[in-house]
Amino acid sequence: MARRFSIPFNVRLVLPAQLTMMAVVLVPTLIAIWLSLTDWQPTSGVPWYQSELIWFWNFNDLWFDDRFTAALIRTIIVVAVCVAAELGIALSLALLFLDDWPWRKLAVSVIILPMMIVPVDAANAFFMLFNERGPINHVISLLLGRRFEFSWLSDANWAMAPIMLAEIWQWTPLMFLLVLTGFMNLPRNQVRAAIVLGASPVRIFFRIMLPLLAPVITLAVLIRAIETFKIFDPVYILTRGGPGASTETISMFMYNGAFVYFRMGYVAAAALIVLVVVTAICMALARPLQRHG
Amino acid sequence: MAETPPAGSRFWRAARRVAVLAAMAIAFFPIFWLVSTSLKPHEEWTSSPPVWVTSQPTLQNYRIVFFPEAARRFAAHEAGSLDYKVSGSAWKAFGDSALIATLATFFSVVFGTLAAYSIARYRTGGDNYPFQFLTIRMFPPIAVVVPMVVLFSLLKLTDTYAGMVIAYTAFTLPFSIWMIRSFIEEVPAELEGAAMVHGMTPMRAFLTITVPLIKGGVLATALFVFILNWSEFLFALTLTSGHVVTVTVQVANYVSASSGKLYGVQAAMGTISTIPVILFGYLIQRHLVRGLSFGAIKR
Repeated sequence: MARRFSIPFNVRLVLPAQLTMMAVVLVPTLIAIWLSLTDWQPTSGVPWYQSELIWFWNFNDLWFDDRFTAALIRTIIVVAVCVAAELGIALSLALLFLDDWPWRKLAVSVIILPMMIVPVDAANAFFMLFNERGPINHVISLLLGRRFEFSWLSDANWAMAPIMLAEIWQWTPLMFLLVLTGFMNLPRNQVRAAIVLGASPVRIFFRIMLPLLAPVITLAVLIRAIETFKIFDPVYILTRGGPGASTETISMFMYNGAFVYFRMGYVAAAALIVLVVVTAICMALARPLQRHG
Repeated sequence: MAETPPAGSRFWRAARRVAVLAAMAIAFFPIFWLVSTSLKPHEEWTSSPPVWVTSQPTLQNYRIVFFPEAARRFAAHEAGSLDYKVSGSAWKAFGDSALIATLATFFSVVFGTLAAYSIARYRTGGDNYPFQFLTIRMFPPIAVVVPMVVLFSLLKLTDTYAGMVIAYTAFTLPFSIWMIRSFIEEVPAELEGAAMVHGMTPMRAFLTITVPLIKGGVLATALFVFILNWSEFLFALTLTSGHVVTVTVQVANYVSASSGKLYGVQAAMGTISTIPVILFGYLIQRHLVRGLSFGAIKR
C-alpha cells in the first residue's frame, strides 16, 4: 500500500510558528546579505534589487568606522554597568524580603511597578526628571545650597547617565523578582543546618545561598544582558544618540544609519556583523536555559 | 524561608524598614512625576523651581490628547508661545494599538500553543529545536528592521495593520512557545494517553483534556504577550508612517518644532497608555517570572 506522502502530525503543529518565524527572520536575513553587498540608498531612486554590487566594501568601511566601533564598545559598557547595578541592587533588596513581615506583599508590588510601565513612557518620565529645571537638578541644588542647572542630556560626557539610570530603574525589579523567586525556592535544609551549626549570616549567604542560587543568577544576568544589548527606546527618547554620537548604542547607530542617513547597504552589513557576534555569544551562553540537557 | 537569618535586633528591623521604604519611593517617584506633570497647566511644565504637586490641577492635557481640535483652539487662545501641532487624536492610536496587539496576541498564542504541544509531547525537532525560536529575541530588532522595511515595501505591507500583526506575532512567538510549553509539561502526558486509548485523536485529546487544565496559563501568556505588543516601539516607529499609529508612536509624536517636548501632554498620553499594561501586569503578577524567564523559573 503506497501511502501518499504526508507531513507528520507533530510537524504540522509547529508549521504555523515555523513559517511565521522564517518569514520574519530568514527571508529578511537573506535580503540583508544581498543589501550588505550593495551600496543601496533608497534616496537614489534605484530599486534595491538593481543596486550596484560593491562586494565587501561595506564591511571594509565598517572595520575602519570609528563611530561603529565606538557604538559597539559603548553598548558593551552599558550592558556591563546596567546588569551589574541591577544584580547588585536586586540581590541586596531580595535579602530584605526573605522572611515574612506585615506589608511585604504591598512592598513587592510597589517595587516591581517600574517593569510594568511602557518603556517609552518610562523614558519620557526620565526625560522630564533630568530636565535642566527638573526635580533631579532641583534636589541637587537643595543639597548643594546653590543653583544647579546642569543640562544632562546635552552634555557629551554625562548624557549616558540618565539613559542608564532609566534602564536600571526599569529593569532592576525584574532582576529582583527572579532573584527573590530563586531565594524562595532554595532548599531549606542546608540553610537550617548551617544555622544550627552556628554559621554567621554573612557566611551562610556567601557559602550556601549564593552557590545554590548560581543557576538563577546566571539565567537572570543572561536574560538582562541580551535585552540590554538591544537598548533602543530610552536612547531614542532621551537623546537620539546625541549630542554628536556620544550616546549612540549599536541599535541607535543602525537606526540613524538607515533612517537618518539612508545608508541601507551599510547598515545591513553592520546588522550582519551584529547578528554573527550575538549568535556566537548566545550559542556559548544559552546552555543555562536548557533545562532538559 | 521563615527561619533564615532573621535580623533579630530592633536596629536592623528599623534599618530594613527604611531601606524598603526608600526602594519603594525610588520605584514610585518617576511614575508620580509623570502623573503629576499630566495634571499641570502649561506654565508649570518646566517652571523653576519645579512644581511637585500643582495647586491648580487641570485636565487640559488630557483634553488635548483626545481632542486635537481643542488643542488648536487652546493654542490660538492663550498659549501663543506654544506650538500645539498635535498630529492626531489619541483615540486612533488606542484603537490601532488595541487592534494590532489583540490580533498579534491571538496568533502568537494559537501558533505558540500548537508548537509548544508538539515540542512538549513529541520532542519535535530534537532538544535544540526550541532554541531556534529564542534567537528571535536575541538579535537586536533593528538588525532585522532594515531588510524588513525592504521586504514589506515589496509585499505592500508597509504601514498596514497586517504588516504590524505579522511582525508582532513573530517577535512574541518565543515567549508563547516557551511559556506555554512549561505549562503543558506540568500536565502528565498519561492523561492524554488514556483519552487516546478510548479512541480520541491526539489533537482531540490535547484540546479536551490538556487545554482546559492549562487555560489559566494560556491566559496569563496571552496577557503577557499583549503587554509586550502594546509596549513595542521600534517596529511601530520604523514600519509605519502615519496610516497606522500605535500608542508608543503617538507618545513620541507630541514633540513640536518650536517648543520642544509638550511635557504635560506627553505625560497625559503616557499615563493613559500605560494604565492597561499596569493592570494586566498585576493580573498576571504570579506568572511574570515564568514569562520573563521563558518558562525556566517557576513560582
